[in-house]
Amino acid sequence: MKHGLSKIATGVVAGVLLAMGFLVAEPVAAQEGIAVRAPMVKGSLPADDPNAAVWASAIPATFPMSPQVHWPNRILEATVRDLSVRALHDGTNVAILLEYTDPSEDPDDAAAIEFMVGDKKAHFAHGQPMAQVEGGPVNIWYWKNKDAKGVDMNAKGFGTLSVQPHQDVKAKGAYANGTWKVVFTRPLTTGHPEEDTQITTGGFINIAFAVWDGKKDASGELKEKGSQKAVSSWWYFRAEAPPDYSGYYYAALAVGLALGFQFILIRKLKKGQSA
Amino acid sequence: MGGSLLKPVILIGIVYTILKFVVPNIPGSAPLPASLIFLYLMLTTSGIVIFATLSGESKDAFWGPIQRFLTGENIGSLQVLRYGVLLLFPLIVGWQTYNSTATSDAPPAENRTIHPAPPGEYTGLSNPVAKTPDTIQQGKGFYAAFCSPCHGGNFDGKGPAARGFNPPPANFSDPTTIAMLQESYLFWRIKKGGVGLPIEGMPWKSAMPRWEVELPDEWIWKIIMGEYDGAHQSPRTWE
Ligand code: HEC
Repeated sequence: MKHGLSKIATGVVAGVLLAMGFLVAEPVAAQEGIAVRAPMVKGSLPADDPNAAVWASAIPATFPMSPQVHWPNRILEATVRDLSVRALHDGTNVAILLEYTDPSEDPDDAAAIEFMVGDKKAHFAHGQPMAQVEGGPVNIWYWKNKDAKGVDMNAKGFGTLSVQPHQDVKAKGAYANGTWKVVFTRPLTTGHPEEDTQITTGGFINIAFAVWDGKKDASGELKEKGSQKAVSSWWYFRAEAPPDYSGYYYAALAVGLALGFQFILIRKLKKGQSA
Repeated sequence: MGGSLLKPVILIGIVYTILKFVVPNIPGSAPLPASLIFLYLMLTTSGIVIFATLSGESKDAFWGPIQRFLTGENIGSLQVLRYGVLLLFPLIVGWQTYNSTATSDAPPAENRTIHPAPPGEYTGLSNPVAKTPDTIQQGKGFYAAFCSPCHGGNFDGKGPAARGFNPPPANFSDPTTIAMLQESYLFWRIKKGGVGLPIEGMPWKSAMPRWEVELPDEWIWKIIMGEYDGAHQSPRTWE
């Protein structure tokens, strides 16, 4: 008797360990790439105020920038090497804050955010055509210091950049202590899904960035202009959904069901034994 | 009697170990997703149960100890273990349920194929440029001018403009890049660039320029020679 029991014990211990093995083996989703996460806030978004206290509720994501050497005209060195990005949304509008160091404030300082539009993939360099994949357009939100406004644009290939007839993007820059802070705002969704990226909460979309240092060299030429700028690759953006606790409810329900199952099973077994 | 329970558990343990730790180490294989391992283990378990319950006798030998343990009749000090199991089981079920309903917090997984198949017309081409110290030197010169900002003067993928690009520029001194490839493949990649990749290569993310718009074919072939020479690699040839 004792002998048999110890064997059962070994078996059960091994079984439990195996079950725990499943838990440990659950795929821990690989955190590849970086994402800008926009938490939902109550009250109005700080659309005009890059220094508002509420920005502290968004965790900044930092992206490395390259001088644009991918297509002509190239530039081998660009001023901005890192870009810090925060974002917030209120369920209706989204606000994205770009922050970067730039030693001088110049009228031609400029920054842009790029998105894919719709379901088609678009190349990060202005949605240029791809040989084996049918690409879509990109939506570009542009700000230039001296214009003091946001510009809503589209491109599908080099030389196709165009300003949209309907402008949904607002932008505001503030320069202090060698740092630019630029806020872009737009409704999460617009009436133009063919041209504008549409942001639904909870889903990841692609995002890329560009920055121009509008400084002039000794001969009065702009150091960075047009395709000569600092660029990023595609990264991810997500407007966070309101918190969802349904997973806990389902789990509690499952625990209840499992307990009930055990209870009935053991009762049945006991009845069978005493019979 | 209880031995009939120990064997299946050991068997499942072995299968699990093989799937989890041995299979991924077979060359050319990859770690199995947890869901697949789970499926295989479920199959193994149902096989064991079917086998163990084939005859009335083996059925009793299989279920008897389990029944006794669950009801807790005459199991003495194993009572504690029994309560542990009765507590753990609902918790595991709850945890699995939570995991399967919780929405993912991570950006989409990116399984980019780094070396997808080239279009047919770019297989088996051989370098038409004679390999001489002179042509190699010319190739290295072109490389320095056009490629080194991204791929690096040391062919290590760490050029001054590389930092912002994801995926990063290829590291040619790494044995898993050009050393695994034929010259013909490089010719395709350099000529058509990132935008020439098929969908599994995620062409929309690649910063690799499409050099056919800027460089004549002959320069590209010379660059290929300079690249292999500079990175101390040699092209893969027909085996
Ligand atoms: C703008 C940066 C940039 C420049 C300039 C550039 N490349 Fe690339 N290259 C990349 C990136 C990024 C990748 C990796 C993504 C890909 O495979 O498309 C890559 C990949 C490659 C590959 C594929 C390697 C492999 O293992 O599959 C080859 C070959 C290559 N480059 C050659 C060149 C040559 C030759 C030049 C110069 C004529 C050059 N590159 C210039 C960015 C660049």
